[in-house]
Amino acid sequence: GTQIRSCKDEFLVPMHLMQARVKATCAKHGLEEPSPEVSALLCHALHERLKTIVEKLAVIAQHRIDLCVKM
Amino acid sequence: GGGGDQPPQIVNKPRLQELVREVDPTVQLDDEVEDLMLQMADDFIDTSLGTACSFAKHRHSSNVELKDVQLLLERQWNMWIPGFGNDELRP
Repeated sequence: GTQIRSCKDEFLVPMHLMQARVKATCAKHGLEEPSPEVSALLCHALHERLKTIVEKLAVIAQHRIDLCVKM
Repeated sequence: GGGGDQPPQIVNKPRLQELVREVDPTVQLDDEVEDLMLQMADDFIDTSLGTACSFAKHRHSSNVELKDVQLLLERQWNMWIPGFGNDELRP
């Protein structure tokens, strides 16, 4: 059936770019092109990954500022 | 990114900055940090795809399926993305 997601697949990476990367990598491994769902899932995973890194960086930077203020 | 034999970078700076604003509007990344993050994005996709391909081959399948990507995300990153088909399998 139709998939309903609250976040757009296209937010971070243009789908055609992700699909091209997926297709090229699979071809390199001698595999066929997977369904577009695979690219969409990777887009969301990458979004999540980068978000986590930014969140951690924000905490670390704030910690550094707090240390400077104390000194 | 761009030119030569290198494939175009999967994320560009404006989109990365949009994501940063979404996380915390007060955060600003240095130029070098942005470059590093774009590189990390590419690496994430390349290593993830490589692993998904080896899972597919291990299944003796001719293509990568959602479950290959879901398995690697869960095992390597402890990550579950909802909305991709088999949520009902989750505990």
